[in-house]
Amino acid sequence: MQASTKMQAAGEKPAAWKKPVGLVLKVLLLLYAVITLYPLYWLIISAFKTNQDFFNRPYAWPMQWQLDNVVRAWDLGNMGRAMLNSAIVTIVALVLTIVIGTLAAYALSRFKFKFSGVLKGMFLLGMLIPIHSTLVPLFIFMNKIGILDTYWALILPYTAFELPIAIFLGIAYLVSIPRDVEEAAMIDGNGWWGVFGRIIFPLCLPVISTVSILAFLRFWNDFSFALVFINTQALKTLPLSLSLFSDGFGTDYALTMGAMFIAVIPTIVIYLIFQEQIMKGMVAGSVKG
Amino acid sequence: MLSSLRTRSFVALALLPAVLIFLVFAIIPIIWSMYYGFFDWKGLGDPKFIGFKNYEMMLQDPIFWRALKNNLILVASAIIGQVPIALLLALLLLKNNFFNRIIRSAVFMPMVLSTVVVGLIWGYIYHPQIGLLNQLLESIGLESWTRAWLSDPKINIFAVSIPINWANIGPYLIIFIAALQNISSEVNDAAKIDGAVGSKKLFFVTLPMIWDMVVVTIVLCISGSLKAFDHVIIMTGGGPAQSTELLATYMYNNTFTVYRYGYGSAVSTMIILISALLIGLNYILTKRRS
Repeated sequence: MQASTKMQAAGEKPAAWKKPVGLVLKVLLLLYAVITLYPLYWLIISAFKTNQDFFNRPYAWPMQWQLDNVVRAWDLGNMGRAMLNSAIVTIVALVLTIVIGTLAAYALSRFKFKFSGVLKGMFLLGMLIPIHSTLVPLFIFMNKIGILDTYWALILPYTAFELPIAIFLGIAYLVSIPRDVEEAAMIDGNGWWGVFGRIIFPLCLPVISTVSILAFLRFWNDFSFALVFINTQALKTLPLSLSLFSDGFGTDYALTMGAMFIAVIPTIVIYLIFQEQIMKGMVAGSVKG
Repeated sequence: MLSSLRTRSFVALALLPAVLIFLVFAIIPIIWSMYYGFFDWKGLGDPKFIGFKNYEMMLQDPIFWRALKNNLILVASAIIGQVPIALLLALLLLKNNFFNRIIRSAVFMPMVLSTVVVGLIWGYIYHPQIGLLNQLLESIGLESWTRAWLSDPKINIFAVSIPINWANIGPYLIIFIAALQNISSEVNDAAKIDGAVGSKKLFFVTLPMIWDMVVVTIVLCISGSLKAFDHVIIMTGGGPAQSTELLATYMYNNTFTVYRYGYGSAVSTMIILISALLIGLNYILTKRRS
C-alpha cells in the first residue's frame, strides 16, 4: 500500500495506466461471469415460454410468462413424485452419514488403538475409488441381497461414499477441541455415549453443517447410482426422471425446460443461502480427497 | 485411554456402523469386481472362469482404446483449461471486496447444478437446428462454422469437454484464492524490495509459493476427469458409433446394454488401475520438479 502511494505521489507511470486497465479487467471479469451464468439464465427464461416462442426467439424474454411448462412437467413428467423420492433418499442418507460419520470421527480422533491407523487408511483409500468402478459389482451384490430397485439401493451406497469426507472433516475439527470439556462431563457421571450425545455432537454442529451441505448436493444431484440401481418408475429420483426428458418427450423442448426449472430451484436456493459454506466445504472436501 | 472395558466397547460400537457400511458398499465391491473380471458371465447362470481372456479382449478392442483416448483428452482439457483459467481468475479476484465476491459466486454456481441439468442445457446449446451456438454463429455471419457439434466424430469429444470444464472451474478458483491469500505479506514485501514485479513476481515468487496447490489441482483434474460419465451419458450416450465413449460409459454400455457382467467387471478394474497409475505418475513427475 505504502509503496503504491509513494509511486503515485512521485507521478510515476503505474498510476496513469492502472486505472483504465483495472476497469477493463473488471469488465472482462463481469463478462466472464455473465457467460458462465448465461446457460442457467437461458434455462430459466425458456422454462416460461411456449414451444413456438422458444424456437422463434431463443434469446429473447418470453412474449408472455406462462407457467404451463412447469405445471405439465410436474404432472406429466412425474416431477412431483421424483422430488419426493429425491427428498426421502437424500434425508435418510444424510442422517445416516452424519450420525455414523460423527461417531466414527469421534472414536478415531480421541482414542489410540491398534487398528486406528489401518482404519484411517481404509477410509482415505475410499476417497480415491472411482465410484463408477463400483457400479457393476454393487448392482450384482444388491441384486443378490434383494435391495436393488429400492430406496436402500441408493441410501446405503450414498452413505458409504460420503463417510470418508464426513469422517476426515470431523477428525480435523475434533482435534481442535480441547479434551477438558469431556473430562469434566465424565466426572459429572456421563458415560461415553452421554458425552458424545450431550457434548461432542452439539460441539460438532459447525462441521456437521458443512458435511450436510456437501452431502445434500451430492445425493440430490446424483445420477449414476440412480441410473443403474433404480428401475421402477415410482422410485425414480429427480436427475433420473429428468434424464428421460433427453429423448422421452421428443421435440417438446419447453416441457423439458420446465422440468429442469423444477429440479434446479432447490439447489439454487440452497446455494444462494449457504454459498460461503458451500465453497469452503467443497474445497475442504476435495482437497482432503 | 483404552483401559476400561466400557471405553473399549464404546469405541468398537462407535466405529462398527461406519466400518460395516464402508466395507460392504465400497471396498468389497472393488474386490468382487476384480474377481468377476476373470469370468465369462451374462448375469444369469453360472459364471465360467476364463482367466485373463476379458483383459485380452479389452486390449484388442479398438473401442476400448478410443474410450481411453477420450478420457485422456478430458484429462488434458481439464489441466489445460480449468487450472490456468482458475489461476488467472484467482489472481484477479484475490481481494475480498464485494465485486470480487459476486464474480466468485457466479463462477462457482454451475458446480452445484445436477450433471443431468448441465448435460441437457448444453445438449440444447449444441443442438444442430435449435441450438444457441449455431444460431449465434449464423447471426454473426459464420454459417460455415455451424455444425452438429455432438455428432461430428472429429470434434464431439471436445464439445463434450467444454461443459465439464465450465462446471468445474469454481472449486479450483477457491483453492487458488485460499493459497494466494496464505502467502505472507513479508514474502510479497521482500519480492518488492528485490524488484520482482509483474510477470517476474508471478513466475519467480507467487507460482513457486503455491506450487503444492497446483499439484493438488492437477491430481483433482485427473481423478475428476476419469469420473466423467454423467455428462456423456446425457449428451451423447457414448455415440454416435461410440465416438464419445469414455472408460466409464464403455463399462456401463457393456454391462447394462449387452449384459457382459464379467467383461464389465474387468473394465471396472482397469479403470481403478489406470487412475492409480495416472495419479502415481503425476506424483512422481511433480515431486521431481519441486
